[in-house]
Amino acid sequence: MTQPEAPGGPGPPGYTGRRRRQVARLATQALPGAVLLGLLALTWQLVAVHNAYLVPRIGAIWDQLVDNPREFVDAAGNTLQESAVGLGASFAVAFSLAIVMSHIRVIERAVMPVAVVINVTPVVSLAPGLAVALGFGMAPRYLVTGIIVFFPMLINSLIGLRSVDPEALQYFASLNASRLEVLLHLRIPSSLPFLFAAARICFPLSIIGAVVAEFSTAGTSNGLGSLIELASQQGTSKSLPEVYAAIFCLALLGLSFTLAVTLVERRLLSWHPARATKVNA
Amino acid sequence: MRAAMSSLVAAGPITWQLAMSSPFSEPVPASRGLSEPLGKPSAAADLPAPGLAISGVSRTYQTDDGPVAALGPVELHVPQGRFVTLIGPSGCGKSTLLRVLAGIERPDEGNISIFGESVERARRAKLIGFVPQALALLPWRTVLDNARLPLELNRSGGANQRKPARDPSEVLRALGLGDVLDRRPAELSGGMRQRVAIARAFVSEPALLLMDEPFSALDELTSEVLRRELLQLWHSTRTTVLFVSHSVSEAVLLSDHVVVMTHAPGRVATVIDVTLDRPRGDLVEVTDAFRDCEREVRLALRGALVPDQQAP
Repeated sequence: MTQPEAPGGPGPPGYTGRRRRQVARLATQALPGAVLLGLLALTWQLVAVHNAYLVPRIGAIWDQLVDNPREFVDAAGNTLQESAVGLGASFAVAFSLAIVMSHIRVIERAVMPVAVVINVTPVVSLAPGLAVALGFGMAPRYLVTGIIVFFPMLINSLIGLRSVDPEALQYFASLNASRLEVLLHLRIPSSLPFLFAAARICFPLSIIGAVVAEFSTAGTSNGLGSLIELASQQGTSKSLPEVYAAIFCLALLGLSFTLAVTLVERRLLSWHPARATKVNA
Repeated sequence: MRAAMSSLVAAGPITWQLAMSSPFSEPVPASRGLSEPLGKPSAAADLPAPGLAISGVSRTYQTDDGPVAALGPVELHVPQGRFVTLIGPSGCGKSTLLRVLAGIERPDEGNISIFGESVERARRAKLIGFVPQALALLPWRTVLDNARLPLELNRSGGANQRKPARDPSEVLRALGLGDVLDRRPAELSGGMRQRVAIARAFVSEPALLLMDEPFSALDELTSEVLRRELLQLWHSTRTTVLFVSHSVSEAVLLSDHVVVMTHAPGRVATVIDVTLDRPRGDLVEVTDAFRDCEREVRLALRGALVPDQQAP
């Protein structure tokens, strides 16, 4: 009764059978989305053909990307850097602060109202002021990105650090574990699911932050947001396709962020009961 | 009669001294507890050999409806190396007593001596092993890393211990978990998870092992097997165990002494010595001696359940 059975039931089926089933499952899962995407693209193209000033044709957007790939790659790199630095710095501050807040109630009572005020203030409105104050370099962009992701990071970290199994906490107490040991071996691992939930929200949010900051500081170092801002001001026949090419790149950036979070989460949270495969014994 | 009821219910604080000489102790005369001066419950602390001494321990919870007395005052002395089971009506404070001993809760009154040390010092020296009812395994750790946890925490406390710790993988193998050392708890069955929690408790070689209804969530057949495995493991260490149970046959099978507690606030109603030979045989449950002992505990429990017989 102590022998675990191999996951997947008795007797593994032949590889070809399994492969075929995997393909079939992928098709049933991906097909509806693909069909809807195709229909949307078709609608887009129909609108574009009949009214070129509303939206550009898909081919024109594609031409932009192919004709000048360097411009978009460089811009995407800048935007990526702004989101990554903002995210990293914001996470470091938010998580450290959450650790302090979870241990000292007074600090929590002091910080929470301020954090809420920052959260309810539209960050878009902060960007121009920050640009004036900090110049047109990267600093205001990092700051806007950092601020926009700060609150969800802080709240999720705090809830995560608090969402510890009380029985586990008692077990640690019976061993006279120190606060640091409880933090390292219990609180931080317990908070991981919440941190990933935060990452799912914050990674795309950080791109919004970067783009908003670029709108306000366009003209200096170029990101995808600056590209959009400049192209829409020019108003030439190539402007609209360029704007949408940049938007396409932004969507791609967000998608790859989300994909990265999902992959890391799948790896680090394999222990989570919702993901684990049960073994009968 | 193989099983001897130590004493009947009596009013006021009584020190239940479990006999020191052998597990097959003489029945304590009923008059003994009564004749002792009520104000001096700490006679157990004067005993030469170390053990667990609980005197006048009580716990009251503050609720919205006012204070609720959950426990005590409890008087109990457990000599070193005994397997003692607490049994009593649900809500009688058995788990509370265990949590107080584990240092998770503080008693409102009373003294506890764990091998001559206060709870706080015993906890600091890692003398206490605790198996909580909900197991509290860490889901992100493998089976092996879970069993290793008590060695990783409070390292300085472990260094003070007389005995060296046991190899976690060895203990796990002894419980038949050799093939799942790298699995995570969520991948295991309830019985296997329970074994991990037991292994974890034995790894640090605690002087006092506190187990809170560890088998209550398992089906009867699985817990049957696990009780035997626990006994086997216990025989290799002979550590002092305080085991909370709500199964009479489980209590008789495992223990040297069965402590029957009253309904809340839980006090020691009576202590029944189990005089069955150790190691307990495979078919010990069907022997007359076992049945006698079970009946003894059941009758004592019936007595403890009727409030009238408890009134001072």
